[in-house]
Amino acid sequence: MEYDPRLYEQIAVSDNDTHNIVLSYLIHNCFKETVESFICSTGIKKPADCLEDIDRRKRIIKFALDGNALKAIELTEQLAPDLLEKNKDLHFELLSLHFIELVRSKRCTEALEFAQKNLSPFGKVQTYVKKLEDLMALLAYEEPEKSPMFHLFSLDRRQMVAEDLNRAILAHTNQPSYSSLERLIQQTTVVDRQLNQEHGKEGQSSFSLEEFVKKKIRTSTQEFPSKGQKQDA
Amino acid sequence: MGGLEDGLPPSKRLRSSSAGSSSVLSGSTAEEQPIAAALFRDSMAQILQCQGQEETIGSRGLIKRIEFVRLISDALYALGYKRSGACLEEESGIPLHSADVSLLMQYVLEGNWDEGASTLHKIGLEDETIIKSAKFLILEQKFLEFLEAGKTLDALMTLRTEISPLHVRTSRVHELSSCLLSRSVNQNGLSCNGSLKAKLRSEVLDELQKLLPPTVVVPERRLEHLVEQALNLQRGTCVFHNSSDWDMSLYTDHHCGRDNIPRHTSQILEGHQDEVWNLQFSHEGKYLASASTDRSAIIWEVGKYGEATLKHRLCGHQKPVSQVSWSLDDQQLLTCGAEETVRRWDVSSGKCLQIYEKAGIPVVSCAWSPDGRSIFAGFADKSICVWDLNGNELECWKGQKTLKISDLEITGNGRKIISMCRETAILLLDRETNEEKLIEEDQMITSFSLSNDSKLLLVNLLNQEIHLWTIDGDVKLLAKYKGHKRSRFLIRSCFGGLDQSFIASGSEDSQVYIWHRGSGQLVDILPGHSGAVNCVSWNPVDPHMLASASDDRTIRIWGLHEANIKPRVLQSNGTHHCNGKI
Repeated sequence: MEYDPRLYEQIAVSDNDTHNIVLSYLIHNCFKETVESFICSTGIKKPADCLEDIDRRKRIIKFALDGNALKAIELTEQLAPDLLEKNKDLHFELLSLHFIELVRSKRCTEALEFAQKNLSPFGKVQTYVKKLEDLMALLAYEEPEKSPMFHLFSLDRRQMVAEDLNRAILAHTNQPSYSSLERLIQQTTVVDRQLNQEHGKEGQSSFSLEEFVKKKIRTSTQEFPSKGQKQDA
Repeated sequence: MGGLEDGLPPSKRLRSSSAGSSSVLSGSTAEEQPIAAALFRDSMAQILQCQGQEETIGSRGLIKRIEFVRLISDALYALGYKRSGACLEEESGIPLHSADVSLLMQYVLEGNWDEGASTLHKIGLEDETIIKSAKFLILEQKFLEFLEAGKTLDALMTLRTEISPLHVRTSRVHELSSCLLSRSVNQNGLSCNGSLKAKLRSEVLDELQKLLPPTVVVPERRLEHLVEQALNLQRGTCVFHNSSDWDMSLYTDHHCGRDNIPRHTSQILEGHQDEVWNLQFSHEGKYLASASTDRSAIIWEVGKYGEATLKHRLCGHQKPVSQVSWSLDDQQLLTCGAEETVRRWDVSSGKCLQIYEKAGIPVVSCAWSPDGRSIFAGFADKSICVWDLNGNELECWKGQKTLKISDLEITGNGRKIISMCRETAILLLDRETNEEKLIEEDQMITSFSLSNDSKLLLVNLLNQEIHLWTIDGDVKLLAKYKGHKRSRFLIRSCFGGLDQSFIASGSEDSQVYIWHRGSGQLVDILPGHSGAVNCVSWNPVDPHMLASASDDRTIRIWGLHEANIKPRVLQSNGTHHCNGKI
């Protein structure tokens, strides 16, 4: 959507806001040392408690990303005892992660026993049945990476679970689950799309930050010669 | 005779030869299956020739001896005559199953799965997919039996190393994998719970047999099936078949004589003073209603031995009565005056319960709704409407839904209304979906009637043909019946007889015509009336009783036996005259 760039220039952005955006991003992604330097450099107020939390959270997420779901679960239980109970889906995903690791390292008997003990109770609820079936199907193959279920081994999956865990822990400690930066980009994209739709533009191109920034470099007089003329919105 | 010098009985010799031919075959590809089957046949043929027996039997050389004998052996075993079966195999030298197949069956019943799976390669199967499917069956049973015995790890091994590599039935493999979980916890919703239980080994054998081609394993009870097929064929072609199937025997071809068709006048009913236009038996066959130009309708009661007596004369209409319609419980009767009104009568008392009309618009046809709570009527203004029993109008369809002289039928489930919408078309209107289907003819349609099961419609045409249509699902023409005469008047036809396998119709030449519905063959022509026969009705409960209504003012009842009749005036017991005023 083409707007007169001067409209943008009229909007003031406070330092406080920008600092908070950056801080929220750093905290969300557990960059503890960067947080400390940033606070020093900008002089903003240090948020309460968060540094210790960051460390613990960081460890948990790292274990999850490495595939060590059991350790991640253990630490999560220490940090937030009823978190997993309240987030059954997440709990299931973490346990599945462990199961998948066992299968990947060819420890099938262990995997079967683990599934019988930890996963089958979930089978009582209909929503987990299909997921359980997919997991169990892995056991049927001697080379599961080549089976129809190979997507269960993907790194993307692990990252998604880790990210979900991160959000759950943040929510539990009353911090926002999404960083402000994420939220802003999401907002811009949605608004952009909505406007495009209203003006009948086809396609749902996502908002591209890079392109947006590039556009701003062009000088205003080139495309919008006369001052004061309202752009056809 | 070559081959007999070794002194072994023929069956032993056979085993070795079949083993020999199978080993030749096991290396070939799927394309060579016909060749393999031919080789099997040829090896058998060689054996037969050695024994001096012909390859084919029967007067037309259509039956192969090998197949015939194997079917008989299978039939003997199925009947439980094991010794006879074995004896036949030995004496004829034709084994029911090759030795390897017998071994395979034995292994399956014993639970010797690994041996069974490997025997599959030896029985002369060429199609790789069949071998794999058969192996899958066997190994699946192995897996399930392990599970039942609690040997989960063994089951897991079987699944991973033996079943999975077959690369068939992937979704079933996944299901079996899920079954590994259910060992201890019984209540989860995993899909395999239903099929977790291992089948009986005999069931596995049955499934295996169905999978294997007939040259290897004869289809179970094939001889029985062939005989039943022949019997069904005979029954189908018997055009006079109007009695139960118990009479069918294997000794002679089934052939009913004419004596099962009601073709003799057993009674003449003289109650009307003018032409009788319409008549219909009640659903239970205990009553007969007739409608006449003398402006009355008569309810006749059918006695225990089929004798009909006048029960009530229903007077009140000011115009000729054109139609009668029985309620489903046979307690009430609707009569329709031609372009006049509809009257509802109580059968036991003969009283008129209600008159139905629409101001200024004459009624031309009427019908009960199957639930007995409403009445359908067609009008001279081409609309159809529904009344409740009190005369309140419930629904109305306007437009060209019906014609001046027409029939109206409602299907048994109350869903479809059938009426003539044009001279050459019948409308099937679905009340729920408002969908309209048409039966279109080239000629003008004069009348139609619906079968008991509401699936078939009989349509009388101007050109003296009767057409049979199926209306259940797709609308299609099934058959045509010809022979009767119709040139000026409205003639009606009906279904009847056992399973409604006959069509009967009136005719202007004063005769009743009967056709076999399936074959279209004209079965009989019944003379007797002295005027055009307008309508016929077959007793729904007694396949040997037919009634016909004629311009000669009489109704004839037709049955199996000639009766001693002189036309005489029947005394009615307590004629009930109703003056029509309620």
